[in-house]
Amino acid sequence: MSVVNYGTREITCKIVYYGPGRSGKTTNLQHVYSKLPEERKGKMVSLATETDRTLFFDFLPLDLGTISGFATRFQLYTVPGQVYYAATRKLVLQGVDGVVFVADSQSRQLAENIESLQDLHANLADEGLDPRTIPLVMQYNKRDLPAGEISAIEDLDETLNFRGVPHYPATAVTGGGVFETLRSISTLVLSRLSAPATKGS
Amino acid sequence: MAREAGKEAEEGGEFADFLADVSKELAQSVESLDKRATPAATSPTTEKKKLRTPAVADAGVIVEWPNVADRVIEEMR
Repeated sequence: MSVVNYGTREITCKIVYYGPGRSGKTTNLQHVYSKLPEERKGKMVSLATETDRTLFFDFLPLDLGTISGFATRFQLYTVPGQVYYAATRKLVLQGVDGVVFVADSQSRQLAENIESLQDLHANLADEGLDPRTIPLVMQYNKRDLPAGEISAIEDLDETLNFRGVPHYPATAVTGGGVFETLRSISTLVLSRLSAPATKGS
Repeated sequence: MAREAGKEAEEGGEFADFLADVSKELAQSVESLDKRATPAATSPTTEKKKLRTPAVADAGVIVEWPNVADRVIEEMR
């Protein structure tokens, strides 16, 4: 539900990074933040516990400048991945324009990935959004781990990516795949901006 | 691409590449939106009202979520 304000000539889009706990959602945002030019660098807000787990959400405003007369901003959010923060995840999803699902490539985390994806679908549906059509990109993170510990991309895709949306291998901790993922979801969201607004599509 | 405040040339690296790629898409979307905008929409209007999320209006300070402490407690239960 992008905000297009003709009066102030502003466009604001909201992208949420979703996924199980410790899959690398905050790390994605931290990498984006680290690459922002100084003049565009706002402040990334992160509410974390003492053990660096995201308590509520991370928020990173991304100012893209003025394009065709519209000041354009992306708002990047993460949700807390841990299962008991369900209420927060629902709250952060309100008004979302696009979702990046950050999956943990570790084989032993497959069940958590599936559970989180189901949670995403349920929360989107609660928001009146169609999980089958909302702009979505899959990111298979932690590809730097030993091959014996991680699932093959094909296996992850077969298990998680039933929509066949764009997917990207990533090593967010070193920045690999982070901007490719962001570029992809941004393009999907922006292309949808010009489409006629229909709820749930 | 009608980027009016562009500083791509000064912005090296991944963000500049990202910006260059999405700007084209954005310009096309804006063009399409402008075509769809009706003359009646001359006053400040919002095409679609956005649902509120706990927003951060000022850097580092959450000012629109006064009951944040309550929510922490609620979530921790």
